Amino acid sequence: MANTDLYEYPQELREEFEATEAIQFRDGSQATAADVWHYMTEVAPKKYPYAYTQRKYVDGRMSRDIHLPSAIKHNYLLLTMNDRINKSRENGSPVIFVQGGQSVDPYYAAGGIALRPASVGMWSRGRHEGLGLNEEVVRRHKQKEKAYHAISFEACQTAGYETIQEGGLPVDMVAPFTCLRCSDISYGVEAHRHGPNKTLKLMNIDYPMRHQADKQWAVEYFVQNLRRLTSQIGKIAGREVTDDDLSKEIRLHNEGRRLAIDIAELWWSADVPPTNGLDRRHILQMGGMEIHGDPSASLTILRESKAYISERVKNGIKAEGVVDKPVRLFICGSCVRPNDFRIEEAGAIIVGNDNHWSDICTLVKEDGDPYRNLAHAILSYPYEQSVELRAAWTIEQLKKSGADGVLFLYQWGCNTQSAVARMLCDAIKRDTGIPTMIIEQHEGGSEQSEQLLNRINAFIEMI
Amino acid sequence: MPIKTLEVIRKRLEERPAELRKLRESGQKVVGWTGYNVPEEIIYALGFIPIRIAIGGDDRLVEVGGRYASSKNCVFIREIVGVFSENEDPYIQQTDILAFDATCLQNFRAAEVIEYYFKKDVIVLGVPRNFYWEEGKEYFGKEADEFARLLEERAGVALDLAKLGESVALYNDIRKTLKSIYTFQAAKDNVISWVEVFDLIQAGDLLDKKEYLSLLHETLAELRALQHNPIIEVDGSEGRIFISGSLIPRGDRKLISIITSVGGRIVGDDIWTGILPHLDLEIKEISPAGVALGYLNRTPHAALPYLDLESDRRLKKLHELLGEFKAQGVIYHTLRYCDPFTFKAKETKDVLAKSDIPVLEIHTEYAGSDYEALRTRLEAFVEMIKIKAESAAEVIV
Repeated sequence: MANTDLYEYPQELREEFEATEAIQFRDGSQATAADVWHYMTEVAPKKYPYAYTQRKYVDGRMSRDIHLPSAIKHNYLLLTMNDRINKSRENGSPVIFVQGGQSVDPYYAAGGIALRPASVGMWSRGRHEGLGLNEEVVRRHKQKEKAYHAISFEACQTAGYETIQEGGLPVDMVAPFTCLRCSDISYGVEAHRHGPNKTLKLMNIDYPMRHQADKQWAVEYFVQNLRRLTSQIGKIAGREVTDDDLSKEIRLHNEGRRLAIDIAELWWSADVPPTNGLDRRHILQMGGMEIHGDPSASLTILRESKAYISERVKNGIKAEGVVDKPVRLFICGSCVRPNDFRIEEAGAIIVGNDNHWSDICTLVKEDGDPYRNLAHAILSYPYEQSVELRAAWTIEQLKKSGADGVLFLYQWGCNTQSAVARMLCDAIKRDTGIPTMIIEQHEGGSEQSEQLLNRINAFIEMI
Repeated sequence: MPIKTLEVIRKRLEERPAELRKLRESGQKVVGWTGYNVPEEIIYALGFIPIRIAIGGDDRLVEVGGRYASSKNCVFIREIVGVFSENEDPYIQQTDILAFDATCLQNFRAAEVIEYYFKKDVIVLGVPRNFYWEEGKEYFGKEADEFARLLEERAGVALDLAKLGESVALYNDIRKTLKSIYTFQAAKDNVISWVEVFDLIQAGDLLDKKEYLSLLHETLAELRALQHNPIIEVDGSEGRIFISGSLIPRGDRKLISIITSVGGRIVGDDIWTGILPHLDLEIKEISPAGVALGYLNRTPHAALPYLDLESDRRLKKLHELLGEFKAQGVIYHTLRYCDPFTFKAKETKDVLAKSDIPVLEIHTEYAGSDYEALRTRLEAFVEMIKIKAESAAEVIV
């Protein structure tokens, strides 16, 4: 692909951007805004041309809200994932594959780096330089195909098998929470046992089910899972993990969670959307402190974003590309989502989602036994409760976000979110009258199918 | 020569729904259970009538169930949901309480769907993924205590440990007798087929347990009279097939009928509606937790992930059974969207290939549309293992 096809950040923005905050990393180093600008305008376009595609409907296309520093800094952190994670590993931090929608406090407390599938994918992608969009999509598909061959073509989540076992990505441990959000994940972990990487450590952090937070024995069992986890990571990292380490980490992650909650409430309180849907999602997801593989870096951007969004809300600034009174959609389900650009073209905006938000909203008590506090909080995730409790929490989010409609999306091959989709939608309709639609999506291509988008557009038009 | 007791059992199964209706009218309650680690002895000891909900083979009900759950759930789960939706199955109609376990996460979801849409009283037993950890066993023991407590509430009586002991003894006897009967089907000059034994095992899901045990004893006595000393050995070119993988519940006989129609002789299985759940169940302590741990310590179900291939007891058991029943080939049966088994299909094939055991994976659902395609593949497989066995026999000669 010729460079003329690639997006370029406008040079007139440079001065404004370079005056913004530096990104502070966990190891004490930092990237100034000037460093970020240089990387994003000079280095990354050559290393990762696919990221600069001008095609509007491509999944992963970068935000064009260039006056929002997080829009550039978030992508900087994603595109530098390979360099940063390799450096951290060399400095003794083991990398652990986790799943999305779970908190990662214990992994960092033990000296590890927790990466969810999307982040592991970014790290893996970063090892292949100079690829255009089509080349990158083909590479990714070929890679995933290896997992389907080694595991099952019906697999949705393969626990990084394709990158760790078949792609040689130096992950040290695969240890996700095996909670209801994804039923494939524990089988994905198990599949690693027949892969060529024999040094990889495997552990399922077993999430008990059914009124789990109300059962003392279930909380105790999860505490034991967490203790085994931190002990195992500590062994790899060559350090002993104390309760104080976890307490400190909980306080740090609570700050991220609180910031995300504050930003969401600011965003929802605005008369006009202060950011587009893509930036809203990226910023709020940082509250989970796991997407960048560096909680300190995520925290820097969160703090700065809060100030920016606060200012926009105060001054009634509407994000570019969003219509005056957009239809407000709330997304339920896991892993997949509709294309924000297409949604906004159709006159709507995504104002929230339950996936990831469920764990970010769950603050952890800071005094007392940190393992018990963390276990109780994790077992209380609204997303993992009975359908009635999950529906009650979702309805609360719908009211706060002023949602006009609900889209429940699940990935092809997902057994567990698909099974709850109709129940949740029916409960929401019963209690609120808000229209809902269930969509199965195949995360197969870089662009979403016209059939899928036609259905969503019709839904928006109906609302 | 037909086994007379099998005829009696068939007749008793026909009569059983009406009998259950009468028992319920007289105040007894029926607990329908499904899962892989439900300690049935506790249900029985509390005076409930346990019946296993294991129904399959009806594509229409799969479609109906999918409307409440989703088209991405395994066909067995979808059919279970569909059966509750229609409420026409004579056994389902008689259930007062449901007991599900969370061994398979889709089973857990089915419990939620049935509870939500069909307003059934559902008790769910949590099952640890880390079932081999001491912490996992302790958690499961506590879950079993809670399971018993919830059943006690519904029974209106406390669990009597003496009755639990009697229940365990009864079930142990059933398991022991089934194991003895199972040997006959795999023997040379067998007087009972695997299919007959398979049906016999599944009859136990529905019949009164004491009567069932008595019928098993009669069956065994008949078998012993017909064949004094059953010896399991390869006889010429039989095409001895072992079925592994996803469960095959009552109502689903597609795969079995094709295998037998193309000349294969089924001699063993490790499926969860077959002999496997009845093997290696040792209850060391008469208490809810003790009974439940006996279940958890059996050969694990594939839905419970085990992270070390070399020490996997499921694969070890598979090898053991293949040897015991002198199987010549394995049909690895995977139901559509049955992740516990589909995720392990290639791995299982690789493991068995090291032991030079031919494997054919059959990935199917309850629709009849793939019948001919399956027949062609199974015919070729059976022919291939027969030729292989004949060649081996010639070499020995």
